[in-house]
Amino acid sequence: MSQSVLEINKNDLSPEGVSRFESALGPIAVYELDGAYYATQDGCTHARASLSEGEILDGELIECPVHGGTFHIPSGRAVGFPCKTPLRTYKVSDAGATLRIDLECEAAAACVRGETHVHGA
Amino acid sequence: MTARMADFHTSWIEAPKLERLMDLENGRMSRLVFQHGGLYEQELERIFARCWLFVAHDSQIPKAGDYITTYMGQDNVIIVRQKDGSVKGFLNSCPHRGNKVCFADAGNARQFICNYHGWSFAIDGRLKGMHASEAFDSTGFDPAGHGLHPVAQIDSYRGLIFATLDPHAPPLAEYLGDMRYYLDAVFDMDGEGTEFVGGCVKSVIRCNWKLAAENFVGDALHAGWTHDSGARAMVGEGVGELHKNPQQSYQVNFNGHGWEFNQDIIGNCASLGDKELVKYLYALQPHVAGRLDEFRSRMIGSISSCTLFPNTSFLPGQNTFRTWHPRGPQEIEVHIWTFVNKSAPPDIKERWRKGSMLTFSPSGVFEMDDGENWEYATRTNEGYLTRQQDLYIGLGGNTRVYDTGLPGNVHQGQVNEANQRAFYQRWLDLMGSASWAEVPQRDVPAEASV
Repeated sequence: MSQSVLEINKNDLSPEGVSRFESALGPIAVYELDGAYYATQDGCTHARASLSEGEILDGELIECPVHGGTFHIPSGRAVGFPCKTPLRTYKVSDAGATLRIDLECEAAAACVRGETHVHGA
Repeated sequence: MTARMADFHTSWIEAPKLERLMDLENGRMSRLVFQHGGLYEQELERIFARCWLFVAHDSQIPKAGDYITTYMGQDNVIIVRQKDGSVKGFLNSCPHRGNKVCFADAGNARQFICNYHGWSFAIDGRLKGMHASEAFDSTGFDPAGHGLHPVAQIDSYRGLIFATLDPHAPPLAEYLGDMRYYLDAVFDMDGEGTEFVGGCVKSVIRCNWKLAAENFVGDALHAGWTHDSGARAMVGEGVGELHKNPQQSYQVNFNGHGWEFNQDIIGNCASLGDKELVKYLYALQPHVAGRLDEFRSRMIGSISSCTLFPNTSFLPGQNTFRTWHPRGPQEIEVHIWTFVNKSAPPDIKERWRKGSMLTFSPSGVFEMDDGENWEYATRTNEGYLTRQQDLYIGLGGNTRVYDTGLPGNVHQGQVNEANQRAFYQRWLDLMGSASWAEVPQRDVPAEASV
């Protein structure tokens, strides 16, 4: 398998909806939202924090466990204070029992890098 | 705290001089204990930063992340349920620049984030992260050791959660000692325990905290005089003449805690003017007698009051539970809740909530009577010559009884000041001791109640 693809077993996903995996690029957060799969960088872009320890809100937002900022999971867009820089997203392919995460390719819905979007600021 | 900073402290008034404030054997005490600013500072250290203080009822924080904020002395604390079901307590102050980290009275939190610089604390107090964490990283900052400051010890008895700021305090069971035997009569009637209903009602009374605590520790005397009009308003007749039947009533105390009571089962409850509550207690009494004993079953709602040293009090039957938080020598912030048996029908719980609000909320017919008395018993001591005059506290000096088989120090007759004297003896013992090891061991728990 190429270094640029991380293959994970679906059985290793947490029932909480977000799980952390190590990759060649560092930790990755993998999400299952109502049967669809997504992946982003695990580290919060605001301050040191592991998003896989956070909670999924409103079905498609990940809330950072440290300061409560939020990101839109499919696009990586920064949604809630204090997050400003979007998350790096990764393309996920469903291969039945496993998921293949392409570390070189953003998700189809990825927001334009550098976009900032802060609600309620 | 670093040793260098911990060495900075005020010099206190030590035992030989303190003892001039009390002559309890002769039923006299100084008024200065209600007025002296230096003594108040000493109380914050030697009473409130040392004793076990009530901080929450189990029923207030059932789920992980549930928290309440309250006071231990003037220290604001967060009491929070952990994921493993245990309870932790922390100073509600950020260890970075000192700001308050939680502004709500109660709620559920995944973390507590300081408004000032974004330091974020887990419910177990650990520092999870900071705003601008890269800047801290570059100075080699280690988040370990920068969590919220924990209370020294936390424990519970019959759903009542207590904490102490002193790591050397004896265990809670030993601190409550023989009072546990009596607490069971009210907080463990049927094995199902109690809960708080409704919220917390707060008020400010411009009195010294000890005047409130000593009232509940043993002052049955004031009821027939102070509360005559209130009792007439609630039930159409005044308070019974308690002093004329001392054979059926008692004061018991243990290391400054005190309970005055009679054996009439429902006397306090009846003052709420709701016959359904009286019927509920009469129906429950035989079951309590079977589970505990006949004697304690006759205390479940009787004319009675209790203070757990130093500043937690409650009234069986009226079901008001409160803490008297000190705000300097001449002011308290009162926090009041209504407690009920968890197993009681919803209608009964609601009747108790209403009844306790009618009588013992800030506008309650009995609460208002007490507040004015305590305010003027405090404020008169602003007079320079007035505060030099000592006070009488000698009622019932010859009432100690030894043949009842009851735990604690037992006195015959609830119209008495034996518990108040024991309260001030404990106050004196703690105020004159630099550490728990020096506190005189006057009362040791009886084997039977351990």
